Amino acid sequence: MYDPTIRTVVEVVSAILCFILLRFMIKPYKLTGEGRYLGLPLGFGFLGVSYVIGAIAFAQTFLPNRELAYIQLFSRTFAYCFLVVTYYFSKKPSENSRIKWDITLSLLIVALTASIVVAIIIPQFAVDSYQAAQVYVRIFNIICLIYISIHTLRSHIKKPDQTTILIPFGFILLGTSQYSLLIWAIDESIFAFNGALVLRLAALAIFLFVSYLTFNYSKQRSSK
Amino acid sequence: MKKISRRDKLKIYGDLLMILNDQSKTEKIILTQVQVRMGVPFDRLKNYILELAELGMIEEETSLKLTEKGKQYLSEYAKVLDFMKRMGLAYQ
Repeated sequence: MYDPTIRTVVEVVSAILCFILLRFMIKPYKLTGEGRYLGLPLGFGFLGVSYVIGAIAFAQTFLPNRELAYIQLFSRTFAYCFLVVTYYFSKKPSENSRIKWDITLSLLIVALTASIVVAIIIPQFAVDSYQAAQVYVRIFNIICLIYISIHTLRSHIKKPDQTTILIPFGFILLGTSQYSLLIWAIDESIFAFNGALVLRLAALAIFLFVSYLTFNYSKQRSSK
Repeated sequence: MKKISRRDKLKIYGDLLMILNDQSKTEKIILTQVQVRMGVPFDRLKNYILELAELGMIEEETSLKLTEKGKQYLSEYAKVLDFMKRMGLAYQ
């Protein structure tokens, strides 16, 4: 059975996890000053924002506020886009790719703003085709997450280490969560919906565990 | 001459501190060995060492050694590199 309270709680917990992760994800950018690592905190920041909006949009009823639902849908998609471009540009450190990264980031921000504005300013579009938009957007999200999973798996295979397998596993869980939501969007299977929420929480918990292991655990170890 | 940007220097400082720290554990630091591991011309290496000393990250007593500030920077640098490796991100 669909329970809006459980969904709201899961959205709030996911948002909290994302904002904690943001603290860790910004460190590579702060240390290196490289713009191409900015996509990591932006991605997790947007994911957190999308969960906050989701919590508000889906708090009351099964039929959420459509404009808010659109905003959370788009912000989540752009979160995955930010992550994809970060992984794509992380292999290309040349001066030329820095310009390409700046252009890509600007284009993503313009596209995000434009899509949210269109969804709000043209409410007919938002109300009539939300269900269809949800399906297309989730397919796009799955493609993004497959790319990131393959990228992180390749890095792991190059230099196998038991600690580097967790992140691709986390992204695979996020992708499976999107796939479950796609099934839910098509045939309203409540099992798929609940499974998606559990998989998402598991993925975020893995990211948090890896971050904690790297920064806090090694800090305790070095102080001993 | 190509100007070295801030981000490149951060990596150079991190790598240099890592090498200096490695060498100080086993033997007296020999700059020519550091130069070989860093892969930079000797005069540039001397400049980096001077800059690190000005920043208070290394000091010279009988031999070069990392200060507390240098050790802290190196520890944070190593953690972030480790995190990036775990996240599947390359830092070249």
